[in-house]
Order: sequence, then C-alpha cells, then structure tokens
Amino acid sequence: MSGSIGMPRERMLFELVKGLYDQLGITRHDIGTFVLNSNDFEVGHTIANVFEDTPVGAYMKDETHVDSEGLWATTYAAMRIMSGNYETALVVGNSSGASTMRPYLMMDYQLDPTIDRQAGLLNELSTAALQARAFLDKYGLDEDVLNQIAARNLRNAAMNPNAVQFKADATAGDVLESEYLYEPLRKLQCYPFSDGACAMVLASGDRAKELTDKPVWIKGMGNSVETYYIGERDLGSSRSAKMAAERAYKMAGISDPAKQLDVAEVAAKFAHQEPILAEALGLFEEGSAARVATDGLADIGGSMPICPSGGGLGAYVFTATAWCGSRNASAS
Amino acid sequence: MSAQQERIIANVVVPLDFTYNYRVGPYVERYIKSLGQKKIMGVKCPGDDAVVVPPRKYCGRCNAIMDEWVEVGPEGTVENYTVGHVRLNKGLVEKADTEYVLALIKLDGASTLLPAEVKGIAPMDVENGLRVKAVFKDPAEDSLNDLSYFVPAG
Repeated sequence: MSGSIGMPRERMLFELVKGLYDQLGITRHDIGTFVLNSNDFEVGHTIANVFEDTPVGAYMKDETHVDSEGLWATTYAAMRIMSGNYETALVVGNSSGASTMRPYLMMDYQLDPTIDRQAGLLNELSTAALQARAFLDKYGLDEDVLNQIAARNLRNAAMNPNAVQFKADATAGDVLESEYLYEPLRKLQCYPFSDGACAMVLASGDRAKELTDKPVWIKGMGNSVETYYIGERDLGSSRSAKMAAERAYKMAGISDPAKQLDVAEVAAKFAHQEPILAEALGLFEEGSAARVATDGLADIGGSMPICPSGGGLGAYVFTATAWCGSRNASAS
Repeated sequence: MSAQQERIIANVVVPLDFTYNYRVGPYVERYIKSLGQKKIMGVKCPGDDAVVVPPRKYCGRCNAIMDEWVEVGPEGTVENYTVGHVRLNKGLVEKADTEYVLALIKLDGASTLLPAEVKGIAPMDVENGLRVKAVFKDPAEDSLNDLSYFVPAG
C-alpha cells in the first residue's frame, strides 16, 4: 500500500506496482491480466483507467476495469484466474479523491437524480447518521459505544504507518469532544480524506507457490447487493453483508466464523458500521456491541480483533478500502 | 514508500458546462402534481402489497410493475431522525445557522419511509414515534418542494 496526499496519481501507481514487481522478482510481462479499479467521477474523466494503464505496466496487455468497488475487482480477478485463461492477475485500486476533489460529492452524485438529489436532504453524513441512529435504537445502545469503537480504531491506526488519522492514546472522551455533524455522528467517528492505492498479484495455486514461499489463499468469496432506497432498508443491520458472508463461508467450509476466524478487517468508513458488519459476518452476536466495547473483545489481543489496521477511520481510500483491509488482515 | 509532498498543484478546472436533462417519468410527474393538490400519492405492489412513496414503477423484491395508486398521509410517524449541526454545500461541510431535524417518516398507509425535515418543534424534543403532518406550499410551485416539511400533528 502507498499513500501520500499531493503525489500525482500516476507516480503513486508506478512506485507502488513497480515496487510489488521488484519484491516478487517479476516484470509486467509475467502478469496475465490486469484488473484496474478506480472511479470515473472521482478521477474526473470517463474510462478513468486510461491513464493508469501506463504506470502499472498494462501497456498493450489484457486489461479490464472495475468502477468503484475494490473488493469486487479482486473477486473479478480471481474469477478470471479460475476460468483457466490466466495464471496471474494484477489488481490495483487507487483514489486521489482527497487531494483532487471533495470526497463528499461522491455520495451527492450517487443519489437518485430525480428525487433525492433534488430534495437535498440526503448526503454522505446525514445518511450515515440515520444508519448510526437506527443501529443504536435497534439494540437500545448508548452513543458512547460509537465513541469507544472510534477510539479503538484511532489507537490501532497509530500503529499503522499508512494511516492518515490516528491517536495513540485515544479515548472515548476524545471522540466525545469532537463536534457533532449529524447526531449521533461525531467528527472522529468519520473516515479521513485519504489518497492512496493498493495492489496485489493473484495467481493460480501452482504459480503462487512459484512466486512466494508464503502465499495467502482466497478460500471463499461472496457478493450481495441491498436496495438503494433508504426508506426501504433496515438500516440497523446489513442483510446484504450477511448473505455475502454466508456465500463466502459456504465456499470456504466455515460453519462457525466466530470460532474459526482469528481476525477481521471490515470496510467501515464510520464507527457504527463496524459492529453492523461484524455482526452480519457472524463474528459477534447481534446487539452485542456494548459488551464487545466494554470487554475489549475486538481489541488487538481480544477474542476477535476487528480492524487492527485502524480500518476506515485510519485511512479511507475510496475504491480500495475493503481490499487494503484484506491485505492488512493477511499481514496480521 | 513515500515521496516528498508535491510543491506545485495545478488546479484544473474542468472546461465543461452542461446540464443533465433527466426525464422524471410519469410516476414522479403525477407525484409532484398531487403534491400541488396537497395529496401524497404512493403506488402499491401487486406482489407484496407494499405501498411505496415516492412512487416508482418497479418493485425490486417482486420484479413487478406497481400500478395501483394509493393516497397516503398526510400524517405520519417519525421512525428515525438525526439532528443536523452542519449542512453540506457542494461537498463542503458548513456549520448550520441553527440545528435542524431530518427524519424518516412513515406516512399513514405507506410501507416505506420518506426523508423529510421536521420543523415547529425543538430538535431536542423530537423522538421516534412522534406524530407529524405534512405542510404543503401554497400556492403550489409544481415541484417536489410543494411538500415543504412536516410539523407535529394535533
């Protein structure tokens, strides 16, 4: 991973990917297919990958692009290898949103243009706040739970050299002192604007063993999409994450995730999204967020460390966050 | 791996000027026309009987066309809310002049929640379960704003 606000996107990608090739002792010609991942709106032009091909070494190669969702790019690359047509795939996602545009605009332009965008009520922060409130109300939780979760992530982020928001001795009180944006959402419960990128080489089993002595295996993958309409969702939980996890667990042969898994990184860009996801993934019981916080169960050294990297509160690279997380988890 | 902070930042202004001419379609058009007559209209799905507001033609769950029009509200219940301390203006966070309430409201007869502002009550007094009623613009201006906001009912 690489991140530096103010570095041109092309150089960030070149240094990151060239570094990865050098580390593996390969060149761009060892890559069978390139899966690039960025977002046209954030980059500011259509076919955003067109200027990314050159720095990552995809010149005149088999290349494809996934918009927005980084983990989907990884899944897509894995499927390309599983098809038998490729032995290796480079997956690289990036965002320079922090230094090139206003990240909250991303949500404004995701909104339904004929109703929600006209009404001007929903935005990145107000929707997050409604989700946070729904989660607290669903289980009768106090806002302090969110401050505790945020503080743990800020402490974890202080140990992550790639983090851009962190505090080594952060407490719930520090988060409480940060201002309300939309209640119960406070500033330190939110992701920081970040530039960054993440790259991985995926390979078939045999090729992976040639490339490294310590391959990380993808055992299962799952996918599910929830409805767009905020008024038709149970905001306090994530059915789609639960279904996606069930599909991935089935493929991986996991029947009791809380026992069989050692650590988890989840893509939460706001503090309250972490327990929603952790509970959907079956890592903790539904409604257990207060006990998890009080007993330190999700701390590093706890029964199920969540986001030891600091997660989305440490750095949030649009497109690549989930997947920076998977890299962090594999390094844990 | 990190490089020095770049010293020169080119502020590239996108040299484009255009408008997206979205067609709202007959459902949203009828919804807006109804608001002008102080009525809130939804549509009912033949598959799961859900009454959806604002109306749209297709039910995601049933993959069916919703074509039975139903009047809902104008009263409803606050199901979820947030008190805004800021406003977002073209992606920038700005301190709000006064705190305000954005709620998800279940209109009487509807299955879905409608995002709307609630006024006429101190933000600290708002709670889930609060009964509210719609305030319409008079005279109507033939836009979504004809349903202006909600106030406590009764």
